[in-house]
Amino acid sequence: MLRVMSRRGDDRVTWDEQKVQAGDPEATAAVREAERIFAQERAKGATAFRVEPGKPTQRIEQFDPTAEQIVMVPRVVGG
Amino acid sequence: MSFITQVLTALGWIVVALAISPMVWLILQPYFKGWSRAERRAADLLRDTLTPEQFRQLVWRGYLEVPSPTEPQRVYRVPRTKGYIQVIENGRAVMRLCVQPVECLPDADVVVLHKLMIEANEEGYLQKANKYVCID
Repeated sequence: MLRVMSRRGDDRVTWDEQKVQAGDPEATAAVREAERIFAQERAKGATAFRVEPGKPTQRIEQFDPTAEQIVMVPRVVGG
Repeated sequence: MSFITQVLTALGWIVVALAISPMVWLILQPYFKGWSRAERRAADLLRDTLTPEQFRQLVWRGYLEVPSPTEPQRVYRVPRTKGYIQVIENGRAVMRLCVQPVECLPDADVVVLHKLMIEANEEGYLQKANKYVCID
């Protein structure tokens, strides 16, 4: 799942990894859409984190369709 | 009471209701805000990201303590609502940090943002933060 923080809460794109492996067109389209959003948000300065229960949070630079959950946060500045 | 008087009375009440409704909205708005769709979604993400203990701490104490991944004696105290992040070292507040997203986010999302940044990008987080040293 890709979760992108915004003023609307968070926008989500979900996909089933097993269906992607099996070549399901809907799941594949969802992954492509998530990848596109990931690249778009990164270009705006967002930071991406791989967040999985029981594992340390990891900052990622590249989209990873095998990640259970990717959370993207907008660029931050000193206040 | 004539029909005209009744109509005028009703119109009078409508005018009074319209006049006070902005004030009533201003008073009730913070309560409704907590139930907006954005806040609900942000609360979902917060619950998914925090452990039950962390969530309890945030609700009851009003802040979340995030241990530094690099300095064992340091914790970051992230407030539930907008405000400074306190840096606690060996139990003492040594610094306050001001870091904010460029985009307006629900409060619960801001807590998650701080937690993720501290846990996985502490150096970058500290570089971006404005720091205010606490002096005894």
